[in-house]
Amino acid sequence: MGSSSSNMNHIPDAEELMQETGFSSAHLLRLYERFEFLDREKRGELSPDDFEAVGRLALNPIGGRIIGAFFSQGQETVDFASFVRILAHFRPADTNRRDGAPQDPANSQTRKLKFAFQLYDQDGDGMISRVELLQVLRAMMGIQVTEEQLQSIAERAIQEADLDRDDAISFDEFKKSLEKVNIDHKMSIRFLR
Amino acid sequence: FLARLHQRPRCPHSPAGVGKSLPERGLLLLLMVFVFLEGSVLPLGAASSPDVSHKGNVDNHQVSDVVHNHTKKAFPVLDLDYQHIQTPFEISLWVLLASLMKLGFHLIPRLSGIVPESCLLITVGLLVGGLIKLAGEEVPPVLDSRLFFLCLLPPIILDAGYFLPIRAFMDNLGTILMFAVVGTLWNAFFIGGLLYAVCQIQPANPNPLHTLELLPCLLFGSIVSAVDPVAVLAVFEEIHINELLHILVFGESLLNDAVTVVLYHLFEEYSGQGSVTVMDCFLGVLSFLVVSLGGVLVGAIYGIVAAFTSRFASHTRVIEPLFVFVYSYMAYLSAEMFHLSGIMALIACGAVMRPYVEANISHKSHTTIKYFLKMWSSVSETLIFIFLGVATVDGPHAWNWTFVTVTVILCLVARVIGVIGLTYVINQFRIVKLTTKDQFIIAYGGLRGAIAFSLGFLLDKDLFPMREMFLTAIITVIFFTVFVQGMTIKPLVELLAVKKKQEAKRSINEEIHTQFLDHLLTGIEDICGHYGHHHWKDKLNRFNKKYVKKCLIAGERSREPQLIAFYHKMEMKQAIELVESGGGVNLPTAVPSTEHPAQEASSAKPAERALPQLPKGREEEIRNILRSNLQRTRQRLRSYNRHTLVADPYEDGFGDFLLKKQKMIELEKKIKNMNNYLTVPAAPPDSPTMCRARLASDPQAYRGKPDSDNVPTIHVDLASPQSPDSVNMMDEFRQAGQQQKHQQQEEDQGLMMKPPSGQRGPKKPGEADSDRDQQKLTRCLSDPGPSADEDEDEPFLP
Repeated sequence: MGSSSSNMNHIPDAEELMQETGFSSAHLLRLYERFEFLDREKRGELSPDDFEAVGRLALNPIGGRIIGAFFSQGQETVDFASFVRILAHFRPADTNRRDGAPQDPANSQTRKLKFAFQLYDQDGDGMISRVELLQVLRAMMGIQVTEEQLQSIAERAIQEADLDRDDAISFDEFKKSLEKVNIDHKMSIRFLR
Repeated sequence: FLARLHQRPRCPHSPAGVGKSLPERGLLLLLMVFVFLEGSVLPLGAASSPDVSHKGNVDNHQVSDVVHNHTKKAFPVLDLDYQHIQTPFEISLWVLLASLMKLGFHLIPRLSGIVPESCLLITVGLLVGGLIKLAGEEVPPVLDSRLFFLCLLPPIILDAGYFLPIRAFMDNLGTILMFAVVGTLWNAFFIGGLLYAVCQIQPANPNPLHTLELLPCLLFGSIVSAVDPVAVLAVFEEIHINELLHILVFGESLLNDAVTVVLYHLFEEYSGQGSVTVMDCFLGVLSFLVVSLGGVLVGAIYGIVAAFTSRFASHTRVIEPLFVFVYSYMAYLSAEMFHLSGIMALIACGAVMRPYVEANISHKSHTTIKYFLKMWSSVSETLIFIFLGVATVDGPHAWNWTFVTVTVILCLVARVIGVIGLTYVINQFRIVKLTTKDQFIIAYGGLRGAIAFSLGFLLDKDLFPMREMFLTAIITVIFFTVFVQGMTIKPLVELLAVKKKQEAKRSINEEIHTQFLDHLLTGIEDICGHYGHHHWKDKLNRFNKKYVKKCLIAGERSREPQLIAFYHKMEMKQAIELVESGGGVNLPTAVPSTEHPAQEASSAKPAERALPQLPKGREEEIRNILRSNLQRTRQRLRSYNRHTLVADPYEDGFGDFLLKKQKMIELEKKIKNMNNYLTVPAAPPDSPTMCRARLASDPQAYRGKPDSDNVPTIHVDLASPQSPDSVNMMDEFRQAGQQQKHQQQEEDQGLMMKPPSGQRGPKKPGEADSDRDQQKLTRCLSDPGPSADEDEDEPFLP
């Protein structure tokens, strides 16, 4: 960092992005450098391969889902603007709102939760079904847990959260079950301040 | 001390715990007998020690002459010749005592819970020393500085350096250096200076303290200000604090060696001359740089040579561990030869050597190294504390109330002020700030230990007439920090932790989702690049991959050693599981799901949201399962314990992760093998629907479904047709990425492998499978896979 603003010229639509996402120019520059680093073939866009080059993502139980989240429906590549927009969800919430900031910024609590929700809900029907929950549980749990145990845990979780008895967790129910958790703390990257 | 001696012997006779079995009591009794024995044998040894031996010899000669004159000397059938074996015998006796003590402490659970082991060991040392003194003999000078620095200290440091969590260390290097260098300097000057001031203002009567000049005071300050790695390790491993704090305090204790060495030599040199000029200060700074960087350089050179040597060791695997030990020890000695920092050399050697050596050596050598290091460092540590106790009883003491109490107080105060001040500065630059609680632990955990004592012991009596007073003060500080701080740090930590955390009972959803969010955040942070320091780290990694690895790692392992190592690990685990699976898998029982519909029907009206009341135990069970099994992210909350041989959660995670996938396949395979032994191809690719169905543990779903080959699957084939499997698997690793492009993810697949389409035709049934299993088994049992060990794995430059 500390590079001059002339580098900003390389970044397409820099001003617009900054306005939209709330990143400062320094952050944007840094993200651009990271983007370029990940984009090893210098195509100006990222493919899933490039994400997988991040070694540690392979260890992450939900690594595949995270990568998938960057690629919206049907798309095969991610350009810088989309990259930044997704990451904007993880910006720590602004303590004081500037005028002219978008009303529902990407890093609002709701938007953050929505992002997480979409990672659960892979088929995109707006509900976390039992099967989807089981998949996540299986991915996150250690190897000692049996199928029956997983079933009971998933069962219990849905019972707790499912208010309208449709045997699935909707977004509102999801939000409600996390009301005691400090989402801003849990879903903000600490150095993107 | 004598009072304590009188009390102690009574302890073992009273039943120290309820329900102690006979063998345990027997062992305790044996221990006590042994201690007494030791107390009496050593004086015996002392009596026939070389000082007195000449007299003894003369006596013997006279006697034998006399006997010879009178009668023909009878052939001695049984003879006692203690002289012959004295030194090794005594050494073995001490080592045995140390080891038996370690055993013994665990028989008294209550005691070892309250008092850290180090305290108990010092007490035992006091006991033995006291016994020897009571027997009227001279206590052997066991904490001889040469013995300490050349024999007792290196194993501990090597153990620490070899298993140093490099990534955590490097992440916090700035902080550690600040604490080590600036903190130690501050401590030394603060303590030394204020001591001098206090000594000068002493009430007038010809007070011996008046003779104490500034430089000796500063020297004393520098000796007593260094945080001791041995004591820190011994105490911290019992309180299980998180890795960040552990690495901070421990790293500090290691790196301050350079500062201590420089200050020590500096002040020692100039104490004779009585004054220090600016030039000397400048030389001191220069010397510090030389000492520290030189030490690291020496260590790194030896490390590289060791790695290079290990590359060729494939034919004589038996002596591989020897290279590790000898090269490290020589690095230490070489550094000490030039008055460089031996500790830093040792650490550098171990840390540099490790990734390459581990890729080269066999699995068994790896285990050997691990266990030998742990064993030696354990014994060393025990011995050091025991000797500290013995030396306390022995040493000439000059007790001076003012000096000693002021020293102790100043040590504490200096440490606290130093930590607070430094943290304030450091927090400006840190991303993860140090909280007050962290600061407290860092300050409180600054224990002094045997290094300080040995350095004091090394002082020349002529130059430093106050040497005995120094020694007494040092010992008091050590005792204070180890006993008082060591004993109270655990309850204090718990107290603080309890105050901070208001842990309300979280709902199951919260548990699951917060863990999910943790993983999500970790993933995003990884995508964003770690804390902005990635430029030079990546460059270093690239350099490492391109050049260094080629040089230092044997043969084909250099190309993708990490993957191959993991693959070997997988193989081993699969093999083991295959062998075990015959007996079935023992799983904790689970409540059948038929319970739930019944309860749900009986629940109250929706408005009230009364959850179906599961039996209380069941809910607790679920919670416990969640808590203990949710895969922790590799963050700084992990508690760290040097002796449990568990390394980076990163590696644990990977092994576990792969195992999970294996298990899913295993289950399927087991059932399939049981049912259709003769028919179906061994490994059909499964569609996502299949996988989902599998999760519902429906055995019917396992009929082979020849589906399109393009579907991404999690698939590790135990009985695969081709033998060059490693190559295949590697290809699959690489191909995994390509496959993902074609399909949307249905499952969590971090690592995906897909059978290369068309390469696997229908396989021969049944016995071919088991043949291949056998093949695989024998192959992986004879194959040296260094990181097949599940506990220790480290990416080469994390």
